Amino acid sequence: MRTGAARPAFFSAAVACILAVVALAAAAQTSKNATAFSPARLQDGKTPDFRGLWQVRDTAYVNIEGHPAEKGIAASRSIIVDPSNGKIPYKPDALAKRQENYRTRAASDPSLKCYQAGVPRATYLPAPLQILQSPGNLAIVYQENHAFRVFQPDTRPHFDSADFWMGDTRYRWEGDTLISDVVALTDELWFDQAGNFHSADVHIVERYRMTGADTLEYEARIEDAVVYSRPWTLRTVLYRIKEPGARIIEDECLEDANGVRHHISPDDPRNLLKSDYSRWKKPAQK
Amino acid sequence: MKFVHAYHSRVLLIAALASSLIANSSGPLSAQAPPARSSVQNASLPRLPGGHPDLQGLWLKSAGGFQGLFIGSLDGTNFAAAGRGRGNGGGGGGTAYEYTPEAEAERLDRLRRGYEDPEARCHLPGVPRALDQPAGLYPVQIIQDEKYVALLHEAMHDVRIVPTDNSPHPRSYWAWDGDSRGRWEADTLVVDVSNFNGRTWLDMAGNFVDENEHVVERFTLVDLDTILYEATVTDPTVFVKPIQMRFTLKRVPAEQQILEYSCLEGERSLQHYTEEDGGKKRRVK
Repeated sequence: MRTGAARPAFFSAAVACILAVVALAAAAQTSKNATAFSPARLQDGKTPDFRGLWQVRDTAYVNIEGHPAEKGIAASRSIIVDPSNGKIPYKPDALAKRQENYRTRAASDPSLKCYQAGVPRATYLPAPLQILQSPGNLAIVYQENHAFRVFQPDTRPHFDSADFWMGDTRYRWEGDTLISDVVALTDELWFDQAGNFHSADVHIVERYRMTGADTLEYEARIEDAVVYSRPWTLRTVLYRIKEPGARIIEDECLEDANGVRHHISPDDPRNLLKSDYSRWKKPAQK
Repeated sequence: MKFVHAYHSRVLLIAALASSLIANSSGPLSAQAPPARSSVQNASLPRLPGGHPDLQGLWLKSAGGFQGLFIGSLDGTNFAAAGRGRGNGGGGGGTAYEYTPEAEAERLDRLRRGYEDPEARCHLPGVPRALDQPAGLYPVQIIQDEKYVALLHEAMHDVRIVPTDNSPHPRSYWAWDGDSRGRWEADTLVVDVSNFNGRTWLDMAGNFVDENEHVVERFTLVDLDTILYEATVTDPTVFVKPIQMRFTLKRVPAEQQILEYSCLEGERSLQHYTEEDGGKKRRVK
């Protein structure tokens, strides 16, 4: 009988133990989610270390509002997290312009001319970016068209007396989150290949936050009273490129015989002009 | 000789750097003694935790124009300018440079068709032209850590991220800027540049290199506000012997910032030129 009485006690103790372990694990999971990932530090022991090569893994560059699959291009959900319907809150006239951009996109997308992509478009292109950092210094180099942004500390006012293709960026750290304020972008920029656009009044607040050793969450809040009825926010994730020896490679466009520019890889023998000096006079490629 | 040069954003820059130029004009640079390279470690230089000199900051080439190579320009004087890129260095005590006969004919031809200068078409300038930009116009921002020295050139938004591990050049890679690999020799950053695609000109005066170009650059921080830049350009199919270049980079005051150079994006020059002059309109054959 004693053993019979002990057995249920043993079982209930075991069950209690299992429940406790499960509860502890759940608690640990909760606290892990609640506590942000703590990135490594630069040599000053303070500044979060975001250095490295990063790239998105989705195809939002086609249309940030989401799009079905096309030949060779996977479908993508909308990366717009606010408003919750995933659509840009255009004013009516602006929406009509976006539709017109979409119709003419094969000719009018500025990126087809090898222009610098702008902010935030450069961030979610299908090409890597590299964050360069040292204590007190921060820059992002985008492989696409070798564009770069030198982030200036927000202790100095914006240089906004001219419009730029990559804007004017001021940044600060809020804990382990990099927050940047971007103005002075031209009104010739698009967000994607679908003709989504902003005006020269656009004001962007970017937030970069590491959510793990190899994941960088990127968020951009976009405000432009000329084009949108309210501010909106997009969010995406950049993944660390971990291949040994990975580097930003040179991305320069070459003109064809019709004056149209094409990206030519440095691995492409067409990029190599052999010492037949006179070839420069001829079209660089067929 | 016509020069089509993309200077679309230059006006902005001139405005932004005007105060910098005024600040730098306290005395003619040519009257100053050339910076001497110290063979012993200079304890007063700013250094990174790893001990290497801290090259970081915003820098501007201190003198010289963009016509002709800067040969032996110890004090910023462009000795080659008098000769407009002639083969013997143009006098003035600079190191002579000499083209092979075939390359000399090509140089003279390019001198006539300066409008084909790829930089006028917003292409990357290559090395050493990335740094050998018109003095006082385009700064370069240097960001440095224990693994890289990154050169962010305002001109042509040209980027060179140089690893300082003396790693080897890749095999199948041909680039306008070539491939840069760095190492520290005492306090001097030595950068070996190879893998050029052979398309770049050295200047607007028809001086050029081909895909056999090889450059060794030396960056030496001589004092807090001065980097001595030296480059040896070797190209056996173009030059009979290596070219030596030397000039100084001066620190831009901290209140200045690098601006954006958009070239293609605002291109307004080529459309005004006829096809014969290398403009946008092309002859249909």
